[in-house]
Amino acid sequence: MFKQLVRMLPVFAVLALAACGDSTGPGQEQEVISRVSLTVTPVGGGTAQTIYIDDPDGLGPIAPSAQVGTLQLRRGTSYTGSVQFENRLVNPPEDITEEVAEEADEHMVIYTISGATGTTLATTDTDDRGRQLGLVYTVTPGATLGAGTIRVVLCHYDPTPKPSTASSCSGDTDIDVVFNFSVITAPTLR
Amino acid sequence: MRVPDWARINQPTVNLPLRWTACALLCLTVAISALVRPVGAQENHRADAERHLHLVVEDGSSGQPMSGVEITVEWADGVATVRRTARSDRHGHVDIQRLPPRVVTMRARVLGYVAITRQVDLSGDDVVLKIRLEPVAVRLSQVDVIADSLADPLAQVAAVSSMDRSDLDSHRGQTLGETIKHLPGVAVIQLGPSIAKPVVRGLNSQRVVVLSGGVRQEDQQWGTEHAPNMDSFEADAVTVVRGAGTVLYGADALGGVVRVDYAPVADTGALRSELTTNMFSNSRQGALSFVAQQGGLPLPWIGRAGYRARITGRVAGTGASPDYYLANTGFRELNGSLGVGVERPWGRSEVTLSHFGTELGVLSQAHAGNFDDLQRAMREPPRDSGFTYGIGRPNQRVSHTTLRWRTVRRRADSGELEFVYGLQFNDRREFDGHGPLRFQNIPAFHLRLFTNSADLRYTHAPWRGLVGTVGTTVSVQGNQTLGKGFLIPGFDLLQLAAYAQESYSLGRFTFSSGIRADGISQTTIPFDDAGIRSPAGTRRWAGFAGSLGSAYQITDALTVSLRLARAWRPPTVNERYAQGVHHGSAQYELGDPTLDAERSQGVEGSLQFTGRQVSWQAAAYDNRIANFIFLEPRDPVFTLRGAFPAFRYAATRARMRGIELSSNVALNSWLSLEGTASAVRGRDLLRNQPLYDMPADRALVTAKVEGAGRRVGPWDFALGAMFVRRQDGVPSGTIYTLPTAGYELVQASVGLHALEVAGRRLDVSLSVSNALNARYRDYLSRYRLFVDDAARDFVLRVRMPLF
Repeated sequence: MFKQLVRMLPVFAVLALAACGDSTGPGQEQEVISRVSLTVTPVGGGTAQTIYIDDPDGLGPIAPSAQVGTLQLRRGTSYTGSVQFENRLVNPPEDITEEVAEEADEHMVIYTISGATGTTLATTDTDDRGRQLGLVYTVTPGATLGAGTIRVVLCHYDPTPKPSTASSCSGDTDIDVVFNFSVITAPTLR
Repeated sequence: MRVPDWARINQPTVNLPLRWTACALLCLTVAISALVRPVGAQENHRADAERHLHLVVEDGSSGQPMSGVEITVEWADGVATVRRTARSDRHGHVDIQRLPPRVVTMRARVLGYVAITRQVDLSGDDVVLKIRLEPVAVRLSQVDVIADSLADPLAQVAAVSSMDRSDLDSHRGQTLGETIKHLPGVAVIQLGPSIAKPVVRGLNSQRVVVLSGGVRQEDQQWGTEHAPNMDSFEADAVTVVRGAGTVLYGADALGGVVRVDYAPVADTGALRSELTTNMFSNSRQGALSFVAQQGGLPLPWIGRAGYRARITGRVAGTGASPDYYLANTGFRELNGSLGVGVERPWGRSEVTLSHFGTELGVLSQAHAGNFDDLQRAMREPPRDSGFTYGIGRPNQRVSHTTLRWRTVRRRADSGELEFVYGLQFNDRREFDGHGPLRFQNIPAFHLRLFTNSADLRYTHAPWRGLVGTVGTTVSVQGNQTLGKGFLIPGFDLLQLAAYAQESYSLGRFTFSSGIRADGISQTTIPFDDAGIRSPAGTRRWAGFAGSLGSAYQITDALTVSLRLARAWRPPTVNERYAQGVHHGSAQYELGDPTLDAERSQGVEGSLQFTGRQVSWQAAAYDNRIANFIFLEPRDPVFTLRGAFPAFRYAATRARMRGIELSSNVALNSWLSLEGTASAVRGRDLLRNQPLYDMPADRALVTAKVEGAGRRVGPWDFALGAMFVRRQDGVPSGTIYTLPTAGYELVQASVGLHALEVAGRRLDVSLSVSNALNARYRDYLSRYRLFVDDAARDFVLRVRMPLF
């Protein structure tokens, strides 16, 4: 009997070889948001301004880049704006904003302005149940000139119920970044 | 920049060897299932022609049930004598099945008592017998006493606790960890009801080796939220060896070894089957396990063989704490195993294929987007999610498949040669609750681990008082990292070991020593992504582990032992390369590729008293661990998702000390008291502060009443209380305000072990844990920052023979 079992050894030898040295090939790309951009355009038309912050290592331990580009809002002008979330660690870059829009029921972009007193930001879109979404907005500079910051939080509600409007995230935070902007004087009309 | 290859992600390129493995496994499965089909009905004994002999063994002087009594049943079958042997369990019960309907000879013997021999008539029906053994008046020589207990040589000089079949039946929990957590020196890291990871002497994960039927379980055990992937119904005996230096099972068992053994597959006997159900009220959980076994199958070119097949299913809904449901803590399991075995004069051989599959939810509150979310989750009162059997995100889907071939060859000189081959495949997928991946059915982490291991050991025949084992082990491991997120890189691991262990008895002394040499080569495979630091490279380690111990029998009942032990382990791949946010704690973990091997040296002593009415065991240990690897807080990590508290794997000098007590007092023939207590102190000697994650001091006291009724058979009732002291040893570097308060839990159980219902003998027990519905948070609960631990839970366990 023992001999017969020994005869089965080749079977086990094959099995043994099969699992040897079996390991990862080239790695996979991480699925992350690596860039957050804000784009604003004067309401009456004009040049669009885009600023963004990159995190070149995604969820890696290196801190995100400093803000690229400057955002200058002229007192007296209103702007329409949008936010964009992208994964630029893959080629071609993936636009994750579309996925947020598709799952509008579970998301809200929350903006908080500090400094530059009087400047306001109001979101102008809603999900299909009329709750704030925040992918587009209008910014109205206040009377105070000078520097301010816009904190952008992408909040995900699941299983937390999504409120109709919010000033802070009560779900899971997917994005939390702070942009700088400044309010400058309106150009003199000629 | 590389083109994202979605097709590849969804259907990962399977390497050719991988395909072979899958194919070979499949072929083997098919072959086995084809082989075990009964060939002829003439070999099939009819079930009703078989008898049970149920015995209750008692001490004739005290009336106490006696465990470990060897019962042999013999009868003549033609010219041959057929013999069947079993040992009585803690309740003194022995159930011998598959006996012929005739008069058989029953013999009962145990050291220190007069052996008895009786004829038992099984021709009419099954027989239930009570036998009383009388202690021998003559003193046996000490050498004999010690030689007898050398059946498990470890038991002499190491701290060992074990659970036999009946213990397991009455404690069998939802997980292996739950089943053993009341043993001295054992605690669990718990993530709700679904994940319970054993902690032995304050150490866990890689430092506790789990053996499954002689094969080292390799299931990504480095992760604290990765529980042992095994069917808790399958275990027939569980032994926990506390302390390092158990050279037979691995050098890296710095904490200890949890050995899970399965009943051997018998190749004689007719078709028998059994159904076991467990029901848990807390999570409205139902578990069902069906096992069937049969011998006398004529396999082509193997001859007479037996098989055992088991299938287990488990469905648990949302667990509950006293005030609210714990959102997304349901889980499901589907497990199966098939073993084929032969017994021959030369020995026995068994091939088993088993599969464990689970899908389990992770508490949704514990899954935070960033540090702000985490702090909010800790501040806010827990949300009551309501009950559901559904499992949302985040969750884990894990499967573990093992092919095991174990052959024991008995030699003429009564030595034994054992060969164990194991092929394991572990597939772990973790699905995220946020980030872009929640839009897709793509795991955030996906790891596949292949392990091949072979053990060859020789236990030589007793020779001039020497008893021992020599052996060698080879293990080859490959890990694939397939998910979209990074947790650990792929790696290859090759491990070679040789060991020897000998015990020597001299009068009242027993000496035991073991030595083990290990060589380990670890090759990591680069993960090709922006920012992920994971270079390719091979590192090798080699080292010795060993132990030297001695036991001295002061009196017949009292033994003292002292033992020196040395153990080591190389850093695991996660300790070297982890990089990412942890599920469930929003903590960022960073590995350190330069970490060196951990080396532990220690001393332990124990006192063991075994009297007629009182028995107790006390053990104390003091270990120093150089290069002890732990998670140290560091500066937070900033990402676009916000800030994360960050930790890095660092090494320090550590000291672990502790004591364990267990005792059993039989007040009279029906009432007994049992108690266990453990305390452990872990200290970081470089930073001069306590180590993180040390279990709080605990004690368990149980009073048990046992009896036997004419109509209900043997029964017992137990009432116990668990006292857990507050954990005051918490390092100052911890960023969380940890709940460390002590708590008390009351538990009770009632069991009927031979209840006749409709002609079947049932083993039924009902127990309740946390009977007073206390609100508490254990220091080792991974959900302690967010929610209370489980509320009152009624558990109904029924074991029933079917046919």
